[in-house]
Amino acid sequence: MPLAIEVTGLTKRYDTGTALDDIAFSVQPGEIMGFLGPNGAGKTTALRILTGMLAPTSGTVRIDGLDVADKTLEVRRRIGYMPENVALYPELRIQEYLHYRAQLKGVPGVERRRRVQEVLEQCALTDVPRKLIGRLSKGYRQRVALADCLVGKPRILILDEPTVGLDPHQIRQTRELITQLGRTTTILLSTHILPEVEMTCQRVTIINQGRIVAVDTPSQLRQRMQGTTVVRVELKAEPSAVQHALRQLPGVVQVSLRGEQQGYVACELQTVGEADVREALYQLAVAQRWPLRELTQSRVSLEDVFIHLTTHE
Amino acid sequence: MNNLFALTARELKSLWYSPVLYVVGAIFLLLQGLVFWLLILLLIDPRVDPSWTMAQFFFGGSFFYWFAILIIAPLLTMRTFSEEKRTGSIEFLLTAPVTDMQVVLSKFLGAWAAYIVLWAATAAYFLVLRMLTPFDWGPVLTGYLGTWLLGGALIAVGVLASSLTRNQVIAAMLSFVAVLVLFSVGILDVFVKDPEASKLIQYCSFMEHLRAFSKGILDTRPIMFYLTFTGICLFLTQRVIANPRWRS
Repeated sequence: MPLAIEVTGLTKRYDTGTALDDIAFSVQPGEIMGFLGPNGAGKTTALRILTGMLAPTSGTVRIDGLDVADKTLEVRRRIGYMPENVALYPELRIQEYLHYRAQLKGVPGVERRRRVQEVLEQCALTDVPRKLIGRLSKGYRQRVALADCLVGKPRILILDEPTVGLDPHQIRQTRELITQLGRTTTILLSTHILPEVEMTCQRVTIINQGRIVAVDTPSQLRQRMQGTTVVRVELKAEPSAVQHALRQLPGVVQVSLRGEQQGYVACELQTVGEADVREALYQLAVAQRWPLRELTQSRVSLEDVFIHLTTHE
Repeated sequence: MNNLFALTARELKSLWYSPVLYVVGAIFLLLQGLVFWLLILLLIDPRVDPSWTMAQFFFGGSFFYWFAILIIAPLLTMRTFSEEKRTGSIEFLLTAPVTDMQVVLSKFLGAWAAYIVLWAATAAYFLVLRMLTPFDWGPVLTGYLGTWLLGGALIAVGVLASSLTRNQVIAAMLSFVAVLVLFSVGILDVFVKDPEASKLIQYCSFMEHLRAFSKGILDTRPIMFYLTFTGICLFLTQRVIANPRWRS
């Protein structure tokens, strides 16, 4: 079985600079792949090339084993693409619009009505099928776009920030829908919301400034950061004395002050290696007779990995 | 074919739902009413042969005929591509499994169909006249055919202009100027002495070709002229849309 999405040596240059620099990644059939990156990293450009909307400067994209440049129509039939900017025809009604899109995507006439009804249900639009698209709120429009994406029964979904502009309730619904769809469909999900990736994706590709900086599962990525551990401590003492003493502890590479309250100094220590600094910290507090009121070792979140990968490169 | 049908139906729906069509239609019918009134004034003279005069005056014989076409072709086509580019809906359109040519053709056919229907509405004038006086339908029918073909060519120009910009007003101005230039090609004839060059200019004159139609002559040369021109414009539009630089 061919890879659902296979990108090799993809480069996109504009007059003003390079948007994508020699990118390569692949998505297995049936996988939900997160596509993560800060704004302006090149996510949308990459997705537009994947869908044939833009032509790359060099490199190839294969969808289901088909080259996007040669078999554009075949590829478009297989993918459901939801662009970042959801622009639908405001003068049409939801149902009318979905019928039109179903027709374009080759849903046979006899099935069309049923198929539109199905996607209306999937995207929780059954209460407003005859509303004008121009009068819909952002959240509803987003869901119409998602329904549009699904109506042709695509094998691969490419979603560019599908939950932007939704309220928390709708975000949860959309995530559930994506997870549910992921059982039968391959999904490439672009986002900059990290919990979304942790919740829905099996693997993540992190992109920054047009380059791929990491491809891994969310948990593996988190482990990669485990090399450094962050410990938060609050001691009642002189800030300068605390800072000085903490730096002397074995394994500590960085001490940063996080504020002062009621005479207590809050510090964050970054440590390397296997050594647990917490015991040494306790000993220090006892020896110096500094009252200690907080001592926590924080787990590295995917957010830290993300920040680390996209700022230290 | 199925795609082309769906796309064209969508174009027509958008025109039907938008106020532009009604404003354009009202202006158009007002102008044609004026032409009809002038025609009646002309026909009052008993020495005038109605069969001969009517079509020649109605189709291209007055300033208002050209003026009406000059404004409705840009107005009907200005939003076709530029509006989709401005809002971004073109991204939905061009990532659906449709060819660029189908998209271009649907935009053209939608606007052209509206144009044809607007002109067809003026048939009422001839039905009224027919009740009052017998005349030859031939020149009227070829007059309509010529007007539709001429309009098709100008609408293709409008679609091309619209594909070049995200701004409807710029698109309308571009096609307005282009249509004006096409209408005035014949004027160059005055400045040319060489008979061969003069022939060439006459062959390229948009106004000149319509004369044959309004006389009731069904000549293949003007038909091919308008159709070829339409085809070239639509081909160029397809090239523009296929070019990634101009896509969005």
